[in-house]
Amino acid sequence: MNPRLNKFKKKNLVYSAGLCVLLLFLSALIPSLRTPLVDIFKLPLNLLNFTRQEIAGIIFYHQHMAQNEELRRENNSLRQKLITLNEIYRENERLNKILSLKQKSSYRAVAAKVIGRAADAWSSVIIIDKGSYHGIKRGFVAINYLGLVGRVIETTLSTSKIMLINDPNLSVSAIIERSRQEGLVSGTLGAYLMMKYLPKEADVKISDVIVTSGLTSAYPKGSLIGTVVDIGEEFLGLSHYCLIEPAVNLSSIEEVLIIIP
Amino acid sequence: MRNWFFLVTIVILGLLEVTLLNYVRIFNVKPDLLLISLVISSLFFGMKWAFILGVSAGITKDVFAANTFGANTLLFAIWTYLIIKLSKKIAIDNNYTRLPLVFIIALSNSIISRLILLTQGNVVPLGITLRIIFFEPLYTALIFPLVFKYVSPELYSKLIKR
Repeated sequence: MNPRLNKFKKKNLVYSAGLCVLLLFLSALIPSLRTPLVDIFKLPLNLLNFTRQEIAGIIFYHQHMAQNEELRRENNSLRQKLITLNEIYRENERLNKILSLKQKSSYRAVAAKVIGRAADAWSSVIIIDKGSYHGIKRGFVAINYLGLVGRVIETTLSTSKIMLINDPNLSVSAIIERSRQEGLVSGTLGAYLMMKYLPKEADVKISDVIVTSGLTSAYPKGSLIGTVVDIGEEFLGLSHYCLIEPAVNLSSIEEVLIIIP
Repeated sequence: MRNWFFLVTIVILGLLEVTLLNYVRIFNVKPDLLLISLVISSLFFGMKWAFILGVSAGITKDVFAANTFGANTLLFAIWTYLIIKLSKKIAIDNNYTRLPLVFIIALSNSIISRLILLTQGNVVPLGITLRIIFFEPLYTALIFPLVFKYVSPELYSKLIKR
Protein backbone atom coordinates (compact mmCIF):
# COMPACT_ATOMS: atom_id res chain seq x y z
CA MET A 1 0.00 0.00 0.00
CA ASN A 2 1.09 3.59 -0.72
CA PRO A 3 2.78 4.93 2.45
CA ARG A 4 1.41 8.44 1.71
CA LEU A 5 -2.15 7.15 1.51
CA ASN A 6 -1.64 5.14 4.65
CA LYS A 7 -0.33 8.22 6.43
CA PHE A 8 -3.33 10.24 5.14
CA LYS A 9 -5.75 7.63 6.49
CA LYS A 10 -4.04 7.56 9.87
CA LYS A 11 -4.11 11.36 9.93
CA ASN A 12 -7.84 11.37 9.16
CA LEU A 13 -8.46 8.79 11.84
CA VAL A 14 -6.59 10.89 14.40
CA TYR A 15 -8.51 14.00 13.35
CA SER A 16 -11.84 12.20 13.57
CA ALA A 17 -11.01 10.80 17.00
CA GLY A 18 -9.90 14.24 18.12
CA LEU A 19 -13.12 15.74 16.83
CA CYS A 20 -15.16 13.15 18.67
CA VAL A 21 -13.23 13.75 21.90
CA LEU A 22 -13.68 17.49 21.42
CA LEU A 23 -17.41 17.09 20.82
CA LEU A 24 -17.75 14.85 23.87
CA PHE A 25 -15.71 17.30 25.92
CA LEU A 26 -17.86 20.21 24.71
CA SER A 27 -21.10 18.29 25.30
CA ALA A 28 -19.98 17.60 28.84
CA LEU A 29 -19.15 21.26 29.38
CA ILE A 30 -22.13 22.73 27.52
CA PRO A 31 -25.31 20.69 28.25
CA SER A 32 -27.26 22.36 25.41
CA LEU A 33 -24.94 20.59 22.94
CA ARG A 34 -25.79 17.19 24.39
CA THR A 35 -29.33 17.09 23.03
CA PRO A 36 -28.46 17.40 19.31
CA LEU A 37 -25.70 14.84 19.82
CA VAL A 38 -28.04 12.40 21.43
CA ASP A 39 -30.54 13.10 18.67
CA ILE A 40 -27.99 12.20 16.05
CA PHE A 41 -27.27 8.87 17.71
CA LYS A 42 -30.92 8.18 18.52
CA LEU A 43 -31.88 6.44 15.30
CA PRO A 44 -28.90 4.05 15.06
CA LEU A 45 -29.15 3.38 18.78
CA ASN A 46 -32.81 2.54 18.46
CA LEU A 47 -32.10 0.33 15.50
CA LEU A 48 -29.35 -1.51 17.35
CA ASN A 49 -31.44 -1.82 20.45
CA PHE A 50 -34.38 -3.17 18.43
CA THR A 51 -32.15 -5.75 16.76
CA ARG A 52 -30.64 -6.75 20.12
CA GLN A 53 -34.09 -7.12 21.62
CA GLU A 54 -35.36 -9.20 18.73
CA ILE A 55 -32.35 -11.50 18.83
CA ALA A 56 -32.61 -11.84 22.61
CA GLY A 57 -36.32 -12.51 22.19
CA ILE A 58 -35.61 -15.36 19.79
CA ILE A 59 -32.77 -16.80 21.86
CA PHE A 60 -34.55 -16.55 25.21
CA TYR A 61 -38.03 -17.32 23.88
CA HIS A 62 -38.67 -20.30 26.17
CA GLN A 63 -37.23 -18.56 29.20
CA HIS A 64 -39.46 -15.52 28.53
CA MET A 65 -42.48 -17.70 27.98
CA ALA A 66 -41.99 -19.42 31.34
CA GLN A 67 -41.35 -16.07 32.99
CA ASN A 68 -44.49 -14.63 31.37
CA GLU A 69 -46.55 -17.55 32.60
CA GLU A 70 -45.19 -17.12 36.11
CA LEU A 71 -45.88 -13.36 36.04
CA ARG A 72 -49.40 -13.97 34.81
CA ARG A 73 -50.01 -16.36 37.68
CA GLU A 74 -48.54 -13.86 40.13
CA ASN A 75 -50.68 -11.08 38.62
CA ASN A 76 -53.84 -13.14 38.99
CA SER A 77 -52.96 -14.05 42.55
CA LEU A 78 -52.23 -10.37 43.36
CA ARG A 79 -55.50 -9.30 41.77
CA GLN A 80 -57.34 -11.85 43.89
CA LYS A 81 -55.55 -10.57 46.98
CA LEU A 82 -56.42 -7.00 46.03
CA ILE A 83 -60.11 -7.88 45.74
CA THR A 84 -60.00 -9.63 49.13
CA LEU A 85 -58.18 -6.70 50.70
CA ASN A 86 -60.65 -4.23 49.21
CA GLU A 87 -63.47 -6.28 50.71
CA ILE A 88 -61.72 -6.35 54.11
CA TYR A 89 -61.10 -2.59 53.84
CA ARG A 90 -64.78 -1.91 53.19
CA GLU A 91 -65.83 -4.22 56.02
CA ASN A 92 -63.35 -2.52 58.31
CA GLU A 93 -64.76 0.87 57.35
CA ARG A 94 -68.31 -0.25 58.13
CA LEU A 95 -67.31 -1.90 61.41
CA ASN A 96 -65.39 1.22 62.44
CA LYS A 97 -68.50 3.33 61.86
CA ILE A 98 -70.60 0.85 63.85
CA LEU A 99 -68.00 0.84 66.63
CA SER A 100 -67.94 4.64 66.83
CA LEU A 101 -71.76 4.64 66.94
CA LYS A 102 -71.64 2.00 69.69
CA GLN A 103 -69.23 4.16 71.69
CA LYS A 104 -71.33 7.30 71.20
CA SER A 105 -74.59 5.57 72.09
CA SER A 106 -75.74 5.78 75.68
CA TYR A 107 -77.36 2.35 75.33
CA ARG A 108 -75.59 -0.98 75.54
CA ALA A 109 -75.40 -2.47 72.08
CA VAL A 110 -74.51 -5.77 70.44
CA ALA A 111 -73.04 -5.80 66.94
CA ALA A 112 -74.22 -8.61 64.67
CA LYS A 113 -73.71 -9.83 61.13
CA VAL A 114 -76.53 -10.55 58.71
CA ILE A 115 -76.46 -14.24 57.75
CA GLY A 116 -79.72 -14.62 55.85
CA ARG A 117 -82.98 -13.16 54.62
CA ALA A 118 -86.61 -14.29 54.72
CA ALA A 119 -87.54 -17.20 52.49
CA ASP A 120 -90.80 -15.63 51.31
CA ALA A 121 -91.42 -12.47 49.32
CA TRP A 122 -94.20 -11.21 51.58
CA SER A 123 -92.01 -10.19 54.46
CA SER A 124 -88.84 -8.20 54.87
CA VAL A 125 -86.79 -9.98 57.46
CA ILE A 126 -83.10 -10.55 58.07
CA ILE A 127 -81.46 -13.24 60.18
CA ILE A 128 -78.47 -12.23 62.32
CA ASP A 129 -75.74 -14.29 63.98
CA LYS A 130 -76.48 -13.22 67.58
CA GLY A 131 -79.29 -14.49 69.79
CA SER A 132 -80.57 -14.78 73.34
CA TYR A 133 -77.16 -16.03 74.48
CA HIS A 134 -75.79 -12.56 73.64
CA GLY A 135 -78.59 -10.83 75.54
CA ILE A 136 -80.91 -10.17 72.61
CA LYS A 137 -84.64 -10.42 73.28
CA ARG A 138 -87.80 -10.00 71.24
CA GLY A 139 -88.70 -6.34 70.73
CA PHE A 140 -85.16 -4.94 70.83
CA VAL A 141 -84.37 -2.31 68.22
CA ALA A 142 -81.81 -2.75 65.44
CA ILE A 143 -79.92 0.20 64.01
CA ASN A 144 -76.76 0.83 62.04
CA TYR A 145 -74.58 3.91 61.62
CA LEU A 146 -77.02 5.36 59.07
CA GLY A 147 -80.25 4.99 61.03
CA LEU A 148 -83.09 2.73 62.11
CA VAL A 149 -83.05 -0.80 60.65
CA GLY A 150 -85.89 -2.68 62.36
CA ARG A 151 -86.96 -4.69 65.34
CA VAL A 152 -86.17 -8.15 66.71
CA ILE A 153 -89.17 -10.46 66.27
CA GLU A 154 -87.72 -13.85 67.16
CA THR A 155 -84.63 -15.11 68.91
CA THR A 156 -82.95 -18.47 69.26
CA LEU A 157 -79.84 -19.14 71.31
CA SER A 158 -77.47 -17.93 68.62
CA THR A 159 -79.60 -16.29 65.92
CA SER A 160 -82.34 -13.67 65.74
CA LYS A 161 -84.83 -12.52 63.16
CA ILE A 162 -85.17 -8.79 62.59
CA MET A 163 -88.21 -7.35 60.87
CA LEU A 164 -86.98 -4.47 58.73
CA ILE A 165 -88.75 -1.12 58.68
CA ASN A 166 -89.93 -1.73 55.12
CA ASP A 167 -92.08 -4.67 56.24
CA PRO A 168 -95.78 -3.72 56.26
CA ASN A 169 -96.20 -5.48 59.62
CA LEU A 170 -93.89 -3.01 61.34
CA SER A 171 -95.05 0.49 62.24
CA VAL A 172 -92.92 3.16 63.86
CA SER A 173 -94.16 6.32 65.52
CA ALA A 174 -92.20 9.13 63.86
CA ILE A 175 -91.98 12.91 63.56
CA ILE A 176 -90.88 15.32 60.88
CA GLU A 177 -87.70 16.78 62.38
CA ARG A 178 -88.31 20.34 61.08
CA SER A 179 -91.99 20.83 61.91
CA ARG A 180 -92.35 18.21 64.71
CA GLN A 181 -95.43 16.83 62.93
CA GLU A 182 -96.23 13.30 64.11
CA GLY A 183 -97.19 10.35 61.92
CA LEU A 184 -96.94 6.60 61.62
CA VAL A 185 -94.26 5.15 59.39
CA SER A 186 -94.82 1.67 57.98
CA GLY A 187 -93.24 -0.42 55.27
CA THR A 188 -94.50 -1.20 51.80
CA LEU A 189 -92.16 -4.10 50.92
CA GLY A 190 -90.75 -1.75 48.29
CA ALA A 191 -87.91 0.74 48.25
CA TYR A 192 -89.89 3.42 50.10
CA LEU A 193 -91.64 3.69 53.46
CA MET A 194 -94.96 5.39 53.98
CA MET A 195 -95.77 7.96 56.66
CA LYS A 196 -99.51 7.84 57.20
CA TYR A 197 -102.18 9.75 59.10
CA LEU A 198 -100.76 13.19 58.47
CA PRO A 199 -103.42 15.92 58.81
CA LYS A 200 -104.27 17.84 55.64
CA GLU A 201 -102.70 21.00 57.05
CA ALA A 202 -99.51 19.16 58.10
CA ASP A 203 -96.30 21.09 57.51
CA VAL A 204 -94.33 18.66 55.39
CA LYS A 205 -92.00 19.30 52.48
CA ILE A 206 -89.89 17.23 50.13
CA SER A 207 -86.45 16.45 51.67
CA ASP A 208 -87.77 16.77 55.23
CA VAL A 209 -85.97 14.44 57.61
CA ILE A 210 -88.03 11.85 59.49
CA VAL A 211 -86.89 10.56 62.87
CA THR A 212 -88.43 8.34 65.55
CA SER A 213 -90.67 10.25 67.93
CA GLY A 214 -89.84 8.40 71.11
CA LEU A 215 -93.56 8.42 71.91
CA THR A 216 -93.30 4.81 73.02
CA SER A 217 -90.29 3.26 74.67
CA ALA A 218 -90.05 0.75 71.81
CA TYR A 219 -87.75 2.96 69.75
CA PRO A 220 -85.13 5.41 71.03
CA LYS A 221 -86.05 9.03 70.27
CA GLY A 222 -84.35 10.73 67.35
CA SER A 223 -83.20 7.71 65.35
CA LEU A 224 -83.00 8.63 61.70
CA ILE A 225 -85.58 6.89 59.50
CA GLY A 226 -85.21 8.67 56.16
CA THR A 227 -86.14 11.68 54.03
CA VAL A 228 -89.41 12.63 52.38
CA VAL A 229 -89.43 12.10 48.61
CA ASP A 230 -93.12 12.48 47.78
CA ILE A 231 -96.32 13.78 49.36
CA GLY A 232 -99.82 12.62 48.47
CA GLU A 233 -103.41 12.54 49.57
CA GLU A 234 -104.96 9.36 50.98
CA PHE A 235 -107.67 7.55 49.02
CA LEU A 236 -110.62 9.08 50.92
CA GLY A 237 -109.01 12.50 51.01
CA LEU A 238 -109.13 12.70 54.79
CA SER A 239 -105.44 12.83 55.40
CA HIS A 240 -102.08 13.07 53.70
CA TYR A 241 -99.29 10.56 53.42
CA CYS A 242 -95.69 10.93 52.42
CA LEU A 243 -93.23 8.52 50.88
CA ILE A 244 -89.90 8.23 52.66
CA GLU A 245 -86.63 7.03 51.28
CA PRO A 246 -85.01 5.03 54.12
CA ALA A 247 -81.64 6.28 55.33
CA VAL A 248 -80.41 2.69 55.47
CA ASN A 249 -80.11 0.71 52.25
CA LEU A 250 -82.23 -2.19 53.48
CA SER A 251 -81.56 -4.46 50.53
CA SER A 252 -77.80 -4.60 51.08
CA ILE A 253 -77.46 -4.40 54.83
CA GLU A 254 -74.58 -6.50 56.22
CA GLU A 255 -74.08 -5.50 59.86
CA VAL A 256 -76.46 -4.19 62.51
CA LEU A 257 -76.32 -3.01 66.08
CA ILE A 258 -78.95 -4.32 68.50
CA ILE A 259 -79.77 -1.83 71.25
CA ILE A 260 -80.13 -3.44 74.65
CA PRO A 261 -82.13 -1.11 76.91
CA MET B 1 -82.44 -44.14 50.44
CA ARG B 2 -83.28 -41.54 47.77
CA ASN B 3 -86.13 -40.31 50.02
CA TRP B 4 -83.64 -39.33 52.70
CA PHE B 5 -81.38 -37.80 50.07
CA PHE B 6 -84.26 -35.66 48.91
CA LEU B 7 -85.10 -34.63 52.48
CA VAL B 8 -81.54 -33.38 52.92
CA THR B 9 -81.82 -31.64 49.55
CA ILE B 10 -84.92 -29.77 50.77
CA VAL B 11 -83.00 -28.44 53.76
CA ILE B 12 -80.11 -27.43 51.51
CA LEU B 13 -82.50 -25.67 49.12
CA GLY B 14 -84.05 -23.86 52.10
CA LEU B 15 -80.62 -22.66 53.21
CA LEU B 16 -79.80 -21.58 49.66
CA GLU B 17 -83.05 -19.63 49.50
CA VAL B 18 -82.25 -17.52 52.56
CA THR B 19 -78.59 -16.95 51.69
CA LEU B 20 -77.23 -17.18 48.15
CA LEU B 21 -80.49 -16.57 46.32
CA ASN B 22 -80.52 -13.02 47.68
CA TYR B 23 -77.82 -12.25 45.11
CA VAL B 24 -80.07 -13.26 42.21
CA ARG B 25 -83.08 -11.21 43.22
CA ILE B 26 -84.81 -9.49 40.32
CA PHE B 27 -87.24 -6.70 41.19
CA ASN B 28 -86.68 -7.73 44.83
CA VAL B 29 -88.09 -11.17 44.09
CA LYS B 30 -86.27 -14.51 44.24
CA PRO B 31 -87.34 -17.93 42.96
CA ASP B 32 -89.05 -20.29 45.41
CA LEU B 33 -86.78 -23.34 45.46
CA LEU B 34 -88.82 -25.02 48.19
CA LEU B 35 -91.92 -24.89 46.03
CA ILE B 36 -89.96 -26.43 43.18
CA SER B 37 -88.85 -29.23 45.52
CA LEU B 38 -92.51 -29.73 46.50
CA VAL B 39 -93.54 -30.16 42.85
CA ILE B 40 -90.68 -32.58 42.21
CA SER B 41 -91.46 -34.67 45.32
CA SER B 42 -95.19 -34.77 44.44
CA LEU B 43 -94.45 -36.03 40.93
CA PHE B 44 -91.71 -38.54 41.69
CA PHE B 45 -92.45 -40.04 45.11
CA GLY B 46 -95.27 -42.17 46.49
CA MET B 47 -98.16 -40.59 48.37
CA LYS B 48 -96.64 -41.07 51.84
CA TRP B 49 -93.19 -39.71 51.05
CA ALA B 50 -94.57 -36.95 48.85
CA PHE B 51 -96.52 -35.69 51.87
CA ILE B 52 -93.55 -36.04 54.21
CA LEU B 53 -91.31 -34.16 51.79
CA GLY B 54 -93.95 -31.53 50.95
CA VAL B 55 -94.66 -30.82 54.61
CA SER B 56 -90.90 -30.71 55.32
CA ALA B 57 -90.49 -28.11 52.58
CA GLY B 58 -93.39 -26.14 54.10
CA ILE B 59 -91.89 -26.30 57.59
CA THR B 60 -88.50 -25.21 56.23
CA LYS B 61 -90.15 -22.24 54.56
CA ASP B 62 -92.07 -21.35 57.71
CA VAL B 63 -88.89 -21.51 59.79
CA PHE B 64 -87.24 -18.91 57.58
CA ALA B 65 -90.32 -16.72 57.09
CA ALA B 66 -91.70 -14.03 59.35
CA ASN B 67 -95.41 -14.50 58.87
CA THR B 68 -97.85 -16.89 60.56
CA PHE B 69 -96.06 -20.14 61.38
CA GLY B 70 -97.76 -23.11 59.76
CA ALA B 71 -99.33 -21.30 56.83
CA ASN B 72 -96.76 -22.59 54.36
CA THR B 73 -96.80 -26.08 55.92
CA LEU B 74 -100.55 -26.28 55.42
CA LEU B 75 -100.45 -24.82 51.91
CA PHE B 76 -97.63 -27.13 50.83
CA ALA B 77 -99.57 -30.17 52.08
CA ILE B 78 -102.59 -29.04 50.03
CA TRP B 79 -100.47 -28.48 46.90
CA THR B 80 -98.91 -31.93 47.31
CA TYR B 81 -102.34 -33.55 47.47
CA LEU B 82 -103.59 -31.61 44.44
CA ILE B 83 -100.51 -32.38 42.32
CA ILE B 84 -100.75 -36.10 43.15
CA LYS B 85 -104.46 -36.07 42.16
CA LEU B 86 -103.70 -34.13 38.98
CA SER B 87 -100.82 -36.40 37.97
CA LYS B 88 -103.23 -39.34 38.08
CA LYS B 89 -105.59 -37.60 35.66
CA ILE B 90 -103.09 -36.17 33.17
CA ALA B 91 -99.56 -37.09 32.20
CA ILE B 92 -97.03 -34.67 33.64
CA ASP B 93 -93.88 -36.25 32.31
CA ASN B 94 -91.91 -33.51 30.61
CA ASN B 95 -90.78 -29.96 31.29
CA TYR B 96 -93.39 -28.49 28.94
CA THR B 97 -96.15 -29.66 31.28
CA ARG B 98 -94.17 -29.30 34.51
CA LEU B 99 -93.31 -25.67 33.83
CA PRO B 100 -96.94 -24.39 33.67
CA LEU B 101 -97.73 -26.59 36.68
CA VAL B 102 -94.97 -24.91 38.72
CA PHE B 103 -96.21 -21.50 37.57
CA ILE B 104 -99.83 -22.23 38.53
CA ILE B 105 -98.89 -23.69 41.93
CA ALA B 106 -96.54 -20.77 42.68
CA LEU B 107 -99.16 -18.26 41.57
CA SER B 108 -101.86 -19.86 43.73
CA ASN B 109 -99.45 -20.05 46.68
CA SER B 110 -98.55 -16.39 46.25
CA ILE B 111 -102.20 -15.26 46.01
CA ILE B 112 -103.27 -17.25 49.07
CA SER B 113 -100.25 -16.05 51.09
CA ARG B 114 -101.20 -12.48 50.21
CA LEU B 115 -104.82 -13.08 51.23
CA ILE B 116 -103.67 -14.51 54.58
CA LEU B 117 -101.61 -11.37 55.17
CA LEU B 118 -104.51 -9.16 54.13
CA THR B 119 -106.67 -10.68 56.86
CA GLN B 120 -104.01 -9.54 59.35
CA GLY B 121 -104.41 -5.92 58.21
CA ASN B 122 -101.16 -5.97 56.26
CA VAL B 123 -101.43 -3.30 53.54
CA VAL B 124 -99.07 -3.43 50.57
CA PRO B 125 -99.37 -1.06 47.57
CA LEU B 126 -101.10 -2.63 44.56
CA GLY B 127 -98.05 -2.32 42.28
CA ILE B 128 -95.80 -4.19 44.69
CA THR B 129 -98.51 -6.79 45.35
CA LEU B 130 -98.95 -7.48 41.63
CA ARG B 131 -95.20 -7.55 41.10
CA ILE B 132 -94.74 -10.22 43.78
CA ILE B 133 -97.86 -12.20 42.80
CA PHE B 134 -96.94 -12.49 39.13
CA PHE B 135 -93.20 -12.13 38.96
CA GLU B 136 -92.27 -14.61 41.68
CA PRO B 137 -94.19 -17.52 40.05
CA LEU B 138 -92.75 -16.61 36.66
CA TYR B 139 -89.19 -16.52 38.01
CA THR B 140 -89.78 -19.81 39.88
CA ALA B 141 -91.19 -21.50 36.77
CA LEU B 142 -88.33 -20.30 34.58
CA ILE B 143 -85.70 -21.55 37.01
CA PHE B 144 -87.45 -24.92 37.42
CA PRO B 145 -85.67 -26.78 34.55
CA LEU B 146 -82.28 -25.77 35.94
CA VAL B 147 -83.12 -26.91 39.48
CA PHE B 148 -84.75 -30.09 38.18
CA LYS B 149 -81.57 -30.96 36.30
CA TYR B 150 -79.60 -31.15 39.57
CA VAL B 151 -82.32 -32.17 42.06
CA SER B 152 -84.05 -34.83 40.02
CA PRO B 153 -84.90 -38.02 42.01
CA GLU B 154 -84.00 -40.00 38.87
CA LEU B 155 -80.50 -38.63 39.16
CA TYR B 156 -80.37 -39.75 42.82
CA SER B 157 -81.48 -43.25 41.83
CA LYS B 158 -78.68 -43.43 39.25
CA LEU B 159 -76.15 -42.21 41.81
CA ILE B 160 -77.30 -44.74 44.38
CA LYS B 161 -77.11 -47.60 41.82
CA ARG B 162 -73.53 -46.65 41.00
